[in-house]
Amino acid sequence: MEPLLSINNLKTRFHTEDGIVKAVNGVSYSMKVGEVLGVVGESGCGKSVHALSIMRLIQIPPGEIESGEIWFDGRDLLKLDNNDMRHVRGRDIAMVFQDPMSSLNPVYTVGFQICEALMLHKKMNKNEARHRAVELLTLVGIPEAKRRLDNYPHQFSGGMRQRAMIAMALSCEPKLLIADEPTTALDVTIQAQIINLVVKLQEELGMAVMWITHDLGIVAEMAHTINVMYAGYIIERGNVRDIYKRTLHPYTFGLLGSLPVIDEAPGTKLISIPGLPPDLIDLPKGCPFYVRCTYRVDQCKFELPPLMESESSQHTVACWRWQEIDGKGTK
Amino acid sequence: MAEINPQDTEIVDFAIREHRSLWLDAWRRLIANKIAMLGLFVVALFILTASLSHFFWKYDPKSDLDYSSKLFAPNLVVTEDAPAVHIFGTDKLGRDIFRRVVHGGWNSLRVGLVSVSISLAIGGLMGLLAGFFESIDMNFWERVTLMGLLGLGLGSLSAWIAAQFFQIFLFSGLGIFSVVFQRWKAGKKVRILAFAVMGMLLGGVSGLLVGPLVGLVCGFLGLGVGMILARPLGGKLFSDVTMRIMDVILSFPSYLLAIAIVAFLGPGLEKGMIAIGVVGIPVYARLARSAVLSVSQKEYVLAAQAVGESHGRILFKHIVPNILSPIIVQSTMGLANAILSAAALGFLGLGAIPPEPEWGAMLGDSYKYLSSGAWWAVLFPGLAIMLSVLGFNLLGDGLRDALDPKMRI
Repeated sequence: MEPLLSINNLKTRFHTEDGIVKAVNGVSYSMKVGEVLGVVGESGCGKSVHALSIMRLIQIPPGEIESGEIWFDGRDLLKLDNNDMRHVRGRDIAMVFQDPMSSLNPVYTVGFQICEALMLHKKMNKNEARHRAVELLTLVGIPEAKRRLDNYPHQFSGGMRQRAMIAMALSCEPKLLIADEPTTALDVTIQAQIINLVVKLQEELGMAVMWITHDLGIVAEMAHTINVMYAGYIIERGNVRDIYKRTLHPYTFGLLGSLPVIDEAPGTKLISIPGLPPDLIDLPKGCPFYVRCTYRVDQCKFELPPLMESESSQHTVACWRWQEIDGKGTK
Repeated sequence: MAEINPQDTEIVDFAIREHRSLWLDAWRRLIANKIAMLGLFVVALFILTASLSHFFWKYDPKSDLDYSSKLFAPNLVVTEDAPAVHIFGTDKLGRDIFRRVVHGGWNSLRVGLVSVSISLAIGGLMGLLAGFFESIDMNFWERVTLMGLLGLGLGSLSAWIAAQFFQIFLFSGLGIFSVVFQRWKAGKKVRILAFAVMGMLLGGVSGLLVGPLVGLVCGFLGLGVGMILARPLGGKLFSDVTMRIMDVILSFPSYLLAIAIVAFLGPGLEKGMIAIGVVGIPVYARLARSAVLSVSQKEYVLAAQAVGESHGRILFKHIVPNILSPIIVQSTMGLANAILSAAALGFLGLGAIPPEPEWGAMLGDSYKYLSSGAWWAVLFPGLAIMLSVLGFNLLGDGLRDALDPKMRI
């Protein structure tokens, strides 16, 4: 089957005063229709930047999409003109952002902001749009949606705002929903509600979801496939089972190890990965994880490991020594 | 035991308040603020008396003089010495000061409104565009529009200068210079041509407002300007150029600049309005730019882009409403400032032309008589200036608190 989204060697750079920040370094992967993809990695590993590159919302300058192809629904998004791209945004690909407190415009009612997308892309009139907005708010679980429509964002709680944002994103029935850490700013119970909501909606509407997070626990519940990113590279990619049960990359191994486990004896220290991620302006020639890796050999220092197939073509890893790590990562 | 039927229980929604808009909220906060209400009262009184007297109590300053009642002290009843009631007394030409103060209010109101409108329209628009183009990359047509605007501005400026001083040759030379030294880039020729033609048309049209020959010259000038600026102009460059021009204006002491402009244009209330307006431009440009820059970093602007909204829509629907409150506050304060500047110009004899009642000019006329005891001729116009400025400032302060409750300086 034709993939929905197919990214080929995407490279995004930022030209800053200190030098060129290489934020995304040749990312390639594809997503099927209706697939839930989790993108994980620590802060500054290029998760959000690669998502913004797909939407072409990188600010140019200082940003620049240096090379690559982003095939979506038979079109290369990087070759579309601005006007066509505008119609892709919102209608075909929708995005939910991290901070629900600032992603709604304080001077308009929530209903107005949802209607806006509907009137723009679906050419609905005001009444139809309002009607649909009520349906959407009900769908995302906001009680008394009809009255809430005329509320201003400050009258909504954080969780409700994020629901409203999701309603906005879903308004035009996008084929792909990009959720950029949508639950980071929310507390844990609300997080669970939002995740369940997105999973439910994803199944009902059959859209693909890209869930960007630094929390491996979240994606374990919902994702089909996981991309682990580090320093702008995808270093491991596979389905959820493989990533968690047959971890192949030492970094993923470290990430999993640093999760707190509920039945651990009190006082047990969490494992942390020593060192810091490399400077994106001055990337090492070899493996970006070299300095922090406990499995390093000289080859790692000089040769950048490509994303190679492991035991199955579905599970790829960028590590020279994955065969030795294979199996040790099970917990 | 009776079963509870969910349909029977009434849903009490105490959590949902009646929705009301931000403006209504701000209005309520304003009403609750006593000092702001005092300001509003003074301002309302000032506007009412000034406009009512202008429309319903005609005053002809040229025929209003009566040497027989020179410098009469304020009197409330008719006596032998004072045949008419002058509650504020009379000035050196025997004119009733009360009447002149009231009619002077109309002039002050006009100066305030017109000059703030000039500063706000030019400064606000420039700041808005500068901030917007700095924060969002432009597409082709936006650049064309921007170039057109610049062409129009430069074209009309040059047309005006040309009409004034016949410095056509200088400027056409500049145009030729820019054409010759244009760096032609492959693939960009079409774009350059578009900009150039746009600049020519706009420059030409604005030039035609002055005269056909000037229009022609300005058209070619616009052509040149379009060509210089046609190179892939980042929004940052536009912003930099605009803001540096603003810095240049700001580097002059404001009264000095206003006096210089009036000296250049000639005296008169209208010229004074222009001068005060021009001096105020950078304030609004800076304010608008900084507000746009901070608002455009907000996530809702990114979210609006992610929904696929166009730049124009984002600018006017999402950014402008969010920067309105500082601009409203600044404009209110600006009115006070404009009234004060007009009075200063009038005092120096550069604002209103003499028989015209104007507070500053009245002060300037009468302060010489202070030593002979005619305090009323100075006190009342002075009070009028003070009260109206105070009123606008109090109102402005109150508006700031009401519109932006989180920001208190």
